Amino acid sequence: MSFLAHRDYRNDQTFDAEVVVVGTGAGGAVVGAELAEAGRDVLFVEEGGYHPTSSLNPYLTESIPRLYRDAGGTIIMGRPPIPYAEGRCVGGSTLINGGMTWRPPERVLTEWESLAGQPDLGPKALEPLFERVEERIHAKPQHPASVGEDSRLLEEGARRLGWRYEHNRRAQDRCVGSNQCLTGCPTGAKQSTLLNYMPRALSFGAHCLTEVRIRKLWIEDGRCVGVIGKAVNPRTRQCDIDVRVRSKAVVVSCGAIQTPYLLLGHRLGRPSRQLGKNFLCHPNAKVIGIYPFDIHAWQGVSQGGQIREFLDEGIIMAENAVPPGTAAAQIPFLGEEALELMKQYNGMVMTGVLVEDSHAGTVTRSFDAPLAKYTINTYDHERFLRGVRRLATLHFEMGAKQVILPFSNMHTVSSVDDLDRIERTQRSRSTIELFTVHLMGTCRMGGNRRTSVVNLKGELWDLPGCYVADASLFPTAVGVNPQVAIMALATMVAQRLDLPN
Amino acid sequence: MVTSPVLQRHPDDSWVLAAPLKVSPRTRRVLLALADAIMPTSPRSETTLEDVTRHALVCLQYMPRSSALLFLVGMRLLNWTPLWRFRGLRPLTRLSREQARRHLVAVTQSRWLPIRLSMYGPLGLFMSNYFDQDYAHRAIGYDPVPFVEERIELRRKWVEGEEPTADEEIHHLRVAPP
Repeated sequence: MSFLAHRDYRNDQTFDAEVVVVGTGAGGAVVGAELAEAGRDVLFVEEGGYHPTSSLNPYLTESIPRLYRDAGGTIIMGRPPIPYAEGRCVGGSTLINGGMTWRPPERVLTEWESLAGQPDLGPKALEPLFERVEERIHAKPQHPASVGEDSRLLEEGARRLGWRYEHNRRAQDRCVGSNQCLTGCPTGAKQSTLLNYMPRALSFGAHCLTEVRIRKLWIEDGRCVGVIGKAVNPRTRQCDIDVRVRSKAVVVSCGAIQTPYLLLGHRLGRPSRQLGKNFLCHPNAKVIGIYPFDIHAWQGVSQGGQIREFLDEGIIMAENAVPPGTAAAQIPFLGEEALELMKQYNGMVMTGVLVEDSHAGTVTRSFDAPLAKYTINTYDHERFLRGVRRLATLHFEMGAKQVILPFSNMHTVSSVDDLDRIERTQRSRSTIELFTVHLMGTCRMGGNRRTSVVNLKGELWDLPGCYVADASLFPTAVGVNPQVAIMALATMVAQRLDLPN
Repeated sequence: MVTSPVLQRHPDDSWVLAAPLKVSPRTRRVLLALADAIMPTSPRSETTLEDVTRHALVCLQYMPRSSALLFLVGMRLLNWTPLWRFRGLRPLTRLSREQARRHLVAVTQSRWLPIRLSMYGPLGLFMSNYFDQDYAHRAIGYDPVPFVEERIELRRKWVEGEEPTADEEIHHLRVAPP
């Protein structure tokens, strides 16, 4: 059976498994593979489709509806509103992310340990889990043949300004820098869960139902005994076939927005009232340098490294070349003006400032979709202004003739002196334009039912048999790319999952 | 022209792309007018406007119904930009492309966040689709397929044991930046 799709389902079909895992991303695929390897009968349920490496291509037009939730039309409401992207396909967000494998800083893990009141989430306890995950996803530095000019330019700029630049370790096996991370790696080098954990799980007997949206948990006598969903007709997008899975345990791994959305439908998380709270999104602001010479940033690895000089302030800077369709959607011009700017695409170096959350938002239910709310506070706003100014300075230092800034009332600057206007013109948080792909929190893990949503096994305090394994477990912000931390916690949940006899 | 069996714009992996969301002829006209005003006038193919509008309606199928509905309501409101900006009585569908574009530029530059927000959706949908087309790629000098094909071949050789050499590194700058 391995992968089933909408055409394979009959109405009112019930599948049986020991463990059903909802989601196949960094959390779900890992927990499912670990359980399958331990001899459990695992069934994955994935809302998106299965897209093998051979179908991945550099074109956005079909890749976006294929691979991204809501065809990329997702947004966090607040001041400012923050568009976000997450995967909806087998492999989840790991199929469309940059594959960075940074561990959370030690200070973060120490804080987790202290919040949990147990050593389980501390640096020492998580060390073997990080090692296990990194080995499985081939976390390695890039080969020189894969590095592009934009990465080298950023590194050189950091060196000139005396800033610390660190090369990324990425989930990749012989990456050659095709720079198609955002539309799925067509070379098969990026080690998304589509290529490592999912095949591993399937080789140990797991199966996967694709194109099924889970709408409810199946609860009997106060215990979670399965999930209830509907298969989504790929042509009409109507949910038209009932699909149920009966199991001894359910692992919800739908990400930090969809997981609380599903659980809030059952009014869970009552002991702490923390379900859907503590929503963190590690927002980033784009800074695009336009150079008078060709750089071809679309050739070479997406993010060869990061400027980590300001990590103690919670600020990271990195380059991230995106296809022209994505770039054009982010620039503030229409018509011929946009085309004139895009004609300089080969001279663009797209970079971003990421700021670690110092506060949190919420996720609630509204109509037929989750509603995420998050407003940056003054402290984070100030750090953004500082980070943007520094990054723009670097671009001018490296010879940029113009820099596009993430401010609606100050979109372009042509010299380093213009940057003095930032403090004067950016007093309001409404004018900054942010984006994110790092969604976290909302079902925090902990050792106390009064302060956390799930226990240190990943099981909901108020619903036995229901586990969570994704970025929503994070007790606080990690301030770095979260993939490895999600995978480590998912491994821990798999190792601790109890099944009734 | 794509020569590789992979990297196809419409890959045949048995996955089915959704049919466009059904909308009224009036809403369709609004979308066409907005797309026409937002996208560059040239280069375009004969079917650019139809294709881009169709793609927008396909994308709406992948969104929750409430979001898709909100988007369409937003488009209808945008159509009346001249009225609520107190700059005219006629909707964008009855204005020339240049006039409509001037109104939309003003919306993108508005000091009011909710007004600027109304342009997020159409800008994202229409611009990302337009700049994903081959003729737009040619206009901006972006040609990813030969490069990705070459990289796939490079990796294939590497998997077979031939590690990339310095010749395979990616260099475009003839001189170091200033």
